[in-house]
Amino acid sequence: MNDPARDPEDSLDALFALARTRRPDTSAAEYAFETRLLGRLRTPTETGSVWAMASWRLIPFFAACVVALMLWHAQVVAQTNEAEQMAYVENPEPFDSWNNLN
Amino acid sequence: MEATLAGDDDAFAELASRHKSRVFGVAARFAGNAAELEDICQDVFVQAYFKLRQYRRDSPFEHWVLRITTHKCYDYLRKRRRSGTTLSVEALLESGHEPSAPEPPAPHPGLERLHAALAQLSPKERLVITLLELEERSVLEIAGLTGWSAANVKVRAFRARTALRKLMEHQT
Repeated sequence: MNDPARDPEDSLDALFALARTRRPDTSAAEYAFETRLLGRLRTPTETGSVWAMASWRLIPFFAACVVALMLWHAQVVAQTNEAEQMAYVENPEPFDSWNNLN
Repeated sequence: MEATLAGDDDAFAELASRHKSRVFGVAARFAGNAAELEDICQDVFVQAYFKLRQYRRDSPFEHWVLRITTHKCYDYLRKRRRSGTTLSVEALLESGHEPSAPEPPAPHPGLERLHAALAQLSPKERLVITLLELEERSVLEIAGLTGWSAANVKVRAFRARTALRKLMEHQT
């Protein structure tokens, strides 16, 4: 006689056979299932909830947009500051010319 | 079916009543508890209701519904894996048990190990090994239910069995 415990393959087959015989009892869950199903089918679909779900799912996209805008803004500010500094270096006293006009 | 397509919801309820046992039977192999089982089965029939026009009558209605069931179960397995929750069939047996019903069989240590190992498999592996070994479906039937090729089913079943054996060896 082969001992099923010795051969893992036999042991696995024996467990599968045992599991097949122990099918979960779903009779309680099946009770009045049609009524609950019809209740769900007759519930009008709320378009608002669809939009809410879509907007929640778009949060990463919006977050990425905000980060990109912040980076772009920081870059623009840095370029502006640099340009202003360059202008100042090239023309350190811009008000003189304005005063000269008067 | 014609009546359902004509808008008779009660006819669909009758259709659901006729096929619910098979759907519950398959879904119970994958569901973690009674609430999840209810969700899967409702999702199956809701999808069947809204896609009834897509049903081509080249195969029995039950096959079509079981194909939807298989896909829904796979979706739930993936969702559960993402959320990281593990549930057992033993929990399902207990949660669906009514006080008036006869006592469920005592938990078998080997079966508990098997279900614990099954819960650790990938969704695809679990799906294929459950359908093949617990539901006793043929490779061709599984290919029809999942949409995978027969060769793919065989390869996945082989890998699932190997993984399951290793997991169970680690448990001992």
